[in-house]
Amino acid sequence: MSQKDSSEMLNFLSISSTDPLFADIPQTSRINDLRIERGIEEYDLLRKAESISKKNAAARCVNFLGSGAYRRIIPSVVDTITSMGEFQTAYTPYQPEISQGMLQVLFEYQSIISDLTSMDMTNSSMYDGPTALGEAARMAYRCSQGDELLIPSITYKNRLSVLKNYLAGLPVKIRTYNIDPVTGMIDLQDIESKISEKTFGIVAENPNSLGIMDSNVLKLSGMKKSALLIVYYDPISLGAIKPPGDYGADIAVGEGQQLGIHLNLGGPYVGLFSFSKEYLRKSPGRIIGETSDVNGNRAFVMTVQTREQHIRREKAMSNICSNQALMSLAALSYLSTVGPSGLRTVASKTMKNAKSLIDAFSRKRTGTFEFKHNPFSDVMLKIPIEEETLKTKLHDSCIAGGLSADRLLTYNDKQHYFFSVSEATTEADIEYLVDSIGGN
Amino acid sequence: MGFRQARYDEPFIRDYHSGSTFFSRHEDLPDWLPKELRRETVPIPDVSEYDVIKHFTRLSQMNFSVDTGLYPLGSCTMKFNPKYADKIAAIPEFSELHPQTDEPMMQGSLQIMYELQEMLKAISHMDEVSLQPLAGAQGEFTGIRIIKKFFENAGKADVRDEILIPDSAHGTNPASAAMGGFKTVEIPSNENGTVDVDALKAAISERTAAFMITNPNTLGIFEGRIEEIARIIHDAGAFLYYDGANFNAILGKTAPGKMGFDITHFNLHKTFATPHGGGGPGAGPVGVRGELKEYLPSPIVRLRDGNYVLDYSMKHSIGKIAGFYGNFGVLLRAWAYIKRNGSDGLKEVSESAVLNTNYLTKRIAGTYEVPNGGVKKHEVAVSSEKTGRRALDIAKYLLDMGFHSPTIYFPLTVHEALMIEVTESASKAEIDAYVDAMINAASEPIENLKQMPKNTSVGRVDEVKAARDLKLKW
Repeated sequence: MSQKDSSEMLNFLSISSTDPLFADIPQTSRINDLRIERGIEEYDLLRKAESISKKNAAARCVNFLGSGAYRRIIPSVVDTITSMGEFQTAYTPYQPEISQGMLQVLFEYQSIISDLTSMDMTNSSMYDGPTALGEAARMAYRCSQGDELLIPSITYKNRLSVLKNYLAGLPVKIRTYNIDPVTGMIDLQDIESKISEKTFGIVAENPNSLGIMDSNVLKLSGMKKSALLIVYYDPISLGAIKPPGDYGADIAVGEGQQLGIHLNLGGPYVGLFSFSKEYLRKSPGRIIGETSDVNGNRAFVMTVQTREQHIRREKAMSNICSNQALMSLAALSYLSTVGPSGLRTVASKTMKNAKSLIDAFSRKRTGTFEFKHNPFSDVMLKIPIEEETLKTKLHDSCIAGGLSADRLLTYNDKQHYFFSVSEATTEADIEYLVDSIGGN
Repeated sequence: MGFRQARYDEPFIRDYHSGSTFFSRHEDLPDWLPKELRRETVPIPDVSEYDVIKHFTRLSQMNFSVDTGLYPLGSCTMKFNPKYADKIAAIPEFSELHPQTDEPMMQGSLQIMYELQEMLKAISHMDEVSLQPLAGAQGEFTGIRIIKKFFENAGKADVRDEILIPDSAHGTNPASAAMGGFKTVEIPSNENGTVDVDALKAAISERTAAFMITNPNTLGIFEGRIEEIARIIHDAGAFLYYDGANFNAILGKTAPGKMGFDITHFNLHKTFATPHGGGGPGAGPVGVRGELKEYLPSPIVRLRDGNYVLDYSMKHSIGKIAGFYGNFGVLLRAWAYIKRNGSDGLKEVSESAVLNTNYLTKRIAGTYEVPNGGVKKHEVAVSSEKTGRRALDIAKYLLDMGFHSPTIYFPLTVHEALMIEVTESASKAEIDAYVDAMINAASEPIENLKQMPKNTSVGRVDEVKAARDLKLKW
């Protein structure tokens, strides 16, 4: 604030400093110093940040990490669009007349994700994939009866932990159904035996946490009884495989990071959240609707807000307020830019690269892929090497990857490791990886 | 001031049919993909990059933002979002780092997280901070989970099942408490706009798990009896929770830990200037004191022998509240803002924000009723009731003048409320222009107000039709 502004305002208030404005803070609660360093010039800050960033060795390495977040090709136009200050520095569009840009963006996002998943409706965003799953489970509980949620016996530990936190306030139990260790897919007999009138929701993953494209998920809607079928999907895979809406999902959720969002050490990402229209009133999150203005022109506005915390308070469907709107814009502009044939290409290359990776490991007898069915982008291999030894080899070769299955998953076999591919992975990358680990 | 917002009849992106130009070479599905899994068509738009850019550029021009003009939404702290933070967040070594990277290969990002944890601890006088919660409301939910788990461990979860919340609180507070399985009890405000301490004493019991408040409150009034409140809560064996939405008022002046709070969340997208993205992303780190340290989400970043490591060892951790470590891109921007401003700059931030608010309040007080009098902090809630004009109509008038409106109809304790927060970023000239507009609005004929806004991309929007006809996709 300028000296002039400050003294004019102080004069107007008939005070000589801002101290009287803080006089209502009890003496014993006051502090005089923030106990952090003093401020620095912008140039020094940029240099400091640049120098710290250099300590992230992995960012420039060959990447084989995936398992929920992927290094994909991001069209430059996506970064340009998400950097536009008019989008980036706006708030939630509470005043629709002056916020039509963001409102149309979110409406288009809802539309494009509904079309991609073949679902009736999509909200304008959740925080990330795992929290979207947590909200989906809560919604299923509101929409059905019973107190049991069925989930796969093998899933990501972080996803499960988030789910448990989201369910902790409800009187529900989590039960698991088996994933067949031979096919890598849902054990249909087992799941059928566990679905009862008490089941309010069934969580199925496709591709699943073992990375496998699971065609058994397509058969669940016929056996679900009164439960809601919640499908956790990979949005890129929908360029190739059947979408959740085509096989009877009631709620479809997923991680939207892959749709044009940088890895950023885990966030900000976007939780994709779609559902059947009959459940709209029980759904969480902001929703944008089309309407018209006083002159009859098309306009957009936040709607069905009576589900939300700022209206319903403790009776709201969710506490979510700030969401991930800017990341919804990234997803929308990504899908618009790559288009149908582009998304097909990305999905095709990804699964072909996964196959190439399996072949390369097998050719050089470095590791074995143990399932009968095919992975999409995450490939779990048995590699008979201790974790520490493998890590050293990978670090020495500047390769990021090799997540140990027993750390990542609720799965206990040692010496199983994940290497994930995307459309950006090259044959040379794969060869380099296999050579760096070496034969056995 | 002659404001005119862009107005395009912009079609939906799917109504362009120029054909995608992004990939030069296309590939189709492998033969081995099982037929039952195969999707035949992918029904998404097929548009050239040039059309994509035009479409979103035009939409951006129909969107008001902090970069466009004054955005005084109360309790949202829409301050200037410094551009150095964006520049730092775009450094590829930060932006391209995978969350499952091995610790030795991501020391830089871990250092950022560690330093931010330490700075937030210092600012708040909390003992430990988790950066994981993805927004303010998720920070609240994290706090609620911690409280629940603490009482479960103490064997008292069945008894301690109530959370007390003032009537002036943000809607997220009761919603978060209910999500965590608690009953909520509303505590009324007194005639000063602060917590009615007698009502609090009457409501508190062996069932009370916590009292959630923000200080200063949503009226911009500092809860002067906060130390007494803390004693009452602690004597009852409950926790005091600090909603950090209004932290912009107290930087370097007081701290939640100093006032007696046990748990605090921070809204980095408010106080620490990270851009709000049209609704998000935000970030809602949570700090706690004392034995609650063992309950925070894991991991916490530690510095051991010169290396940054992820510590998962907290004995009673609630586990994970988000997929990974938090909205790192937001955390990094907040780190940059705190480093740049430092202890001296942040203190000035609060002094300027509070000075601006009190200046505005005194100027506006002759025209609008300012309930509860006295000194304000970062924001003020005024009532338009005595002007004979509805808060909604005043808001639309302001849009026509090129300002964003204040938050309206909140807090619920004020009739026809307009909650104004200009932050430290507004200059005196801008505040004067804004106050002049508000004063003019109060004498503008009501029938004129009803016709507004006219200078925005669209006229007044039919919300009733939106709710009745429910068109939620193209």
